[in-house]
Amino acid sequence: MSKVTVQDIEAVDDYWGPTFRSILEGNNTESLSEQLEQRIRSHDKDIERICNLYYQGFIDSIQELLQVRTQAKQLHEEVHTLDRSVQQISASVLQQGQDLVRARQIESNLASAIDALQACLPALECYIKFTQQANNKQYYQSLRTLETLESQHLVGLNNYRFATQIRQAIPVIKENIRRSAEADFREFLENIRKFSPKIGEVAITHTKKLQKLDINAIIEEHKLLRQQDNRDEENNLSAQDLIDFSPIYRCLHIYMVLGQREYFEKDYRQQRRDQSKLVLQPPPGMHDNLEAYKTYICAIVGFFIVEDHVKNTAGDVVTTSYLEDLWSTSLTKFVNEISMASSSCTDPNILLRIKNLIMLSINTFKCYGYTVNMLFECLHNMRDHYNEVLLQRWVHVFRDILDKEQFQPMIVENQEEYESIIERFPFHSEQLENAAFPKKFPFSRMVPEVYHQAKEFMYACMKFAEELTLSPNEVAAMVRKAANLLLTRSFSGCLSMVFRNPSVALPQLIQIIVDTQYLEKAGPFLDEFVCHMTNTVSNISQTPSAMFHVARQEAEKQVGVRICSKIDEFFDLAAYDWLLIEPPGIASAYITDMISYLKSTFDNFAFKLPGIAQTACRRTCEHIANKIYDILYDEEVKQISTGALQQINLDLLQCEFFAASEPVPGLREGELSKYFLKNRQLLDLLIMEEWSTYLHDYGKQENRYHLVHPQSIIVILEKIREADKKTMFSVLRKNDKKKLLDTVLKQLKHLTERQN
Amino acid sequence: MAKTYDYLFKLLLIGDSGVGKTCILFRFSEDAFNTTFISTIGIDFKIRTIEFDGKKIKLQIWDTAGQERFRTITTAYYRGAMGIMLVYDITQEKSFENIKNWIRNIEENASADVEKMLLGNKCELNDKRQVSRERGEQLAIEYGIKFMETSAKASINVEEAFLTLASDIKAKMEKRLEANNPPKGGHQLKFAETRKTETWLSKCNLL
Repeated sequence: MSKVTVQDIEAVDDYWGPTFRSILEGNNTESLSEQLEQRIRSHDKDIERICNLYYQGFIDSIQELLQVRTQAKQLHEEVHTLDRSVQQISASVLQQGQDLVRARQIESNLASAIDALQACLPALECYIKFTQQANNKQYYQSLRTLETLESQHLVGLNNYRFATQIRQAIPVIKENIRRSAEADFREFLENIRKFSPKIGEVAITHTKKLQKLDINAIIEEHKLLRQQDNRDEENNLSAQDLIDFSPIYRCLHIYMVLGQREYFEKDYRQQRRDQSKLVLQPPPGMHDNLEAYKTYICAIVGFFIVEDHVKNTAGDVVTTSYLEDLWSTSLTKFVNEISMASSSCTDPNILLRIKNLIMLSINTFKCYGYTVNMLFECLHNMRDHYNEVLLQRWVHVFRDILDKEQFQPMIVENQEEYESIIERFPFHSEQLENAAFPKKFPFSRMVPEVYHQAKEFMYACMKFAEELTLSPNEVAAMVRKAANLLLTRSFSGCLSMVFRNPSVALPQLIQIIVDTQYLEKAGPFLDEFVCHMTNTVSNISQTPSAMFHVARQEAEKQVGVRICSKIDEFFDLAAYDWLLIEPPGIASAYITDMISYLKSTFDNFAFKLPGIAQTACRRTCEHIANKIYDILYDEEVKQISTGALQQINLDLLQCEFFAASEPVPGLREGELSKYFLKNRQLLDLLIMEEWSTYLHDYGKQENRYHLVHPQSIIVILEKIREADKKTMFSVLRKNDKKKLLDTVLKQLKHLTERQN
Repeated sequence: MAKTYDYLFKLLLIGDSGVGKTCILFRFSEDAFNTTFISTIGIDFKIRTIEFDGKKIKLQIWDTAGQERFRTITTAYYRGAMGIMLVYDITQEKSFENIKNWIRNIEENASADVEKMLLGNKCELNDKRQVSRERGEQLAIEYGIKFMETSAKASINVEEAFLTLASDIKAKMEKRLEANNPPKGGHQLKFAETRKTETWLSKCNLL
C-alpha cells in the first residue's frame, strides 16, 4: 500500500482506522500533505465561484424588503385611525346600555323592598299598639298584643334585625310589665293597709247600728232610705266599696298571662301574712289608751274584711285553708295582745269600753263567718281582770271612807238628812223614828257609805257581764263572788289597816264592830239587790251577810289584842322591891290604875257588845294572871322576900276582886276567877307555908294545891331562900326557917324526880 | 321583874273638846299626826320613856275626853296626876276662856302640889288666831304656871312642853326628898316608897 491517495480517504466513509494507520506507517506523508493542499485549493476556488454567482440576487431582495417596510407603516396608520373613529361612535351607546342595566336593577330592588316592608308592617303596627297600651298602663291588653306579635307577626321575620331586637326585648318587656304590675300591687297593698282601719271602723259602726235596731226601727229606716235613696248612697256604702280592689284582679290577670299565677298567689299570701303581723302589732302604750285600742281593733277587723272580700272575688288567691290558717294564728296573737294590754289597764271605764269594742268586733267577725270563740274566752278573762281592777279601785274608795271616818255614832239634824240615810241603807227602828232631832244612829257614817259602795261595786261588776252571753244565774254567781272578795278581802284589808293605826283607840274599834254588825244585818239586802238586778232567785246558801263576818271577826280579835297591849304597858310600870320587909298594905299603883282603866273601858262597851266584852274580859283576866305569874318567875329576879310576896299577893287580890266584881254582865259566876286560881294556890302555899299539907295531899284528889307543880315551887323557894339570907335578922328563926326550907326543897325535888 | 326606869311621872292632858289633846299626845308618843278628828271616849293613856340628867323617866300620859259627858270618868284621874297640861286652841276663844273652869276643876279634884302648864295649841294656824300669845302668857302668869304655844301638826314645842313639865316635876320631887331626909344616898328606893303612899284609888278599891 504505499500509494494511498486522497480519493482513497475520501472513498472510505466510516472505516478510518486502516487509512490513518497506512498513512502513519507509510512514508508518503509528504505526498499526502501535498494532495491535501491541492484539495484545499480546489475547494476555495469552488466557494469563490458560488459567491459570485448569488450576489446580485441578494441585493435585489434587500431592496424589495425595504419597500415592504414602508407599505407596512402606511397600513398601520390607516388601521389606527379607523379604530379611533369606531371608538368615538360606540362610547355613547355603551353609556346608554349601562344606564339601562342600572335602572333595571333598581326596579327589581324596589319591588323586593316593598314586599319586605309589607311583611314587616303588621308586626310593627302591633308593636306600636303594644307600646301605646303599655304607656296607658293597660298591661293586660298590652301583654295580649305582645303575645299576638310574638306568635303571628314575628314568625316569618327571621332575617330582620328589628325583629331580632324585638324578640330579644320581649322577655325584658314582660319582666318590666310584671314589675310595674307588681309595683301597682304593692301600692295597692299599701293603700289597703292605710284603709283597713277605716274599713274596720265603718264595719264596726255598721254593726253597732244594727245592734241598736229592733225590727221596727229597721223597717223605719228602710222607708227612710227609700225616700232618700239617691242622696244617701254614700252613707250606705258597704265596707269594701271604700277601696278599689282592681289592682289585685289586674295583677292576677297579668300573672295569669305570664303563667306565674301560682307565684302571685304565693306572693299575695306572703305579703298579707307580713301585713297581718304589722296589723297585729299593737300601738305603743295601748294599755290605757282607748283610742289606741280602737285603732288596733278596727285595723284587724278591716284586715279580715278585706281578706274575706278578696276570697269571695278573686278566685283562689285567698283560699279557705289559707284564710283559716291566717285567722287562727292572728286570732291567737290578737287575743294575746289584747289580754296583755288590757291586763295592765287599771281604769274600769276603759276596760268596759274595750269590752264593748271587742263585742262589736265579735259581731262583725261573725257577720263575715269567722269563728270567734277565743274572743269570748278573752272577754271572760278580761272580766276577771276587770273585777280585780274594780276591787283595787274600791280599796281606795273604802280607804277614803275610812280615812274620813270618826267611828262615832252618826247624828242627823233634820228630817231631810234622816231620810237620805234611810233611803241609802236598810235600817229601821221605831225608837229612832220617833226620837226627836238630832237623831243618833247606832252606827257611824261609814255604814251607809260602805253599803252604798258595795252596791255600786256590784253594779259595776254587772256592767261588764252585759251582752256577754252569760245566763242570769252565772252573772249573779259572778257578782256574788266578786262582792264576796270585795268585802272579805278588800274591805277587811282596809279595816285591818285602821286597826293597825295607833291613833284609832279602843272605843273606835268597838264602834267598828258595831258598824260591821249593822253591815252584816244589811247583807241579805245586798243579796236581794243582786237577784233584782239579774232577775234570779235568791240563793240562801251564799248570802253576802257572811262577807262582813271576816271583817268583824278581825275587829273582835283586835279588841282583845288592844286591851292586852295596854295591860302589858301597865305591867311595864311594875316596880317591886324584892327585899321588902313590911308591905305598906295597899296594892301597887300600876295595878289599881290598870283596874280602874279596865273598868271604865269595859263599862264603855259591855252593854253595846256583851258577847265581845265577855270574850275580851276572859282574855284580859287570863293575860293578867299570866303576867303576874311571869313576874314571879322572871329570871332577872333572883330573890323574893316574904314582904314582896305579900305585896304581890295584895296585887293579885285586887285582880281577883276585879274578876269577882262582874266587870262585864252575863258571865257565869267564878268564870273569871278561875284564871287566877293557879296564882292564888301558889301564893297561898308560899305565904301560909302549909308544906306538910301540900306534901301529904300531893297527887290526891282532895288536894287544895292541885294546880301547883313541885318544880314551880322549887324555883320560887330558891328565890325566897336567897332573900332570907339578907332580910332575916333573928338568928334563931333564920336557922329554923332555913332548915324547914331545905327539908321542903329536898322533898319537892324528890317528888319531881319521882315524876320524871 | 326588874325596874326599867328611875322615875314614873303621871301626867294628865285636859282642855275643851277639839283643842288637840290627843294629837299632842300622838305627836309626843308616836311622832306622827292624824288629820281626822276622832274625839276621845272616856280616857286613854300612852307611855313614853325619856332620859333626863342620866335618869330614865317614864311618862304615863293620860289623855282625857274633853266632852262634858265624860267629866265624871276623867276627874277620877286627877288625883293621881303629878303634872297637868291645860290645853286650849288659839283659834277658839271659847276654849281659852274655859281654861279658868278647868283650873277650878283641878283645884277641886287634883292634889294641891300638882305641877301645871298651859299650852296654846294649833299655833301653825296663825291666820285664824283668836287668842294672842300675850293673853296666853298673861293668864299663865296669873296662875303662876308656865306657858307655851304648840303645834301638834307642825311639831312645834310639843316635845319641849313635856320635857319642861317633866323636869319641873323632877326638880320639885328631888327638893322635897332632900327636905324630908337629908342626903345619904338611896334616893330611888326612898322615892319609890314615897310614891306608893301617894297612889290613889287603891284604898277605896280594896276596902
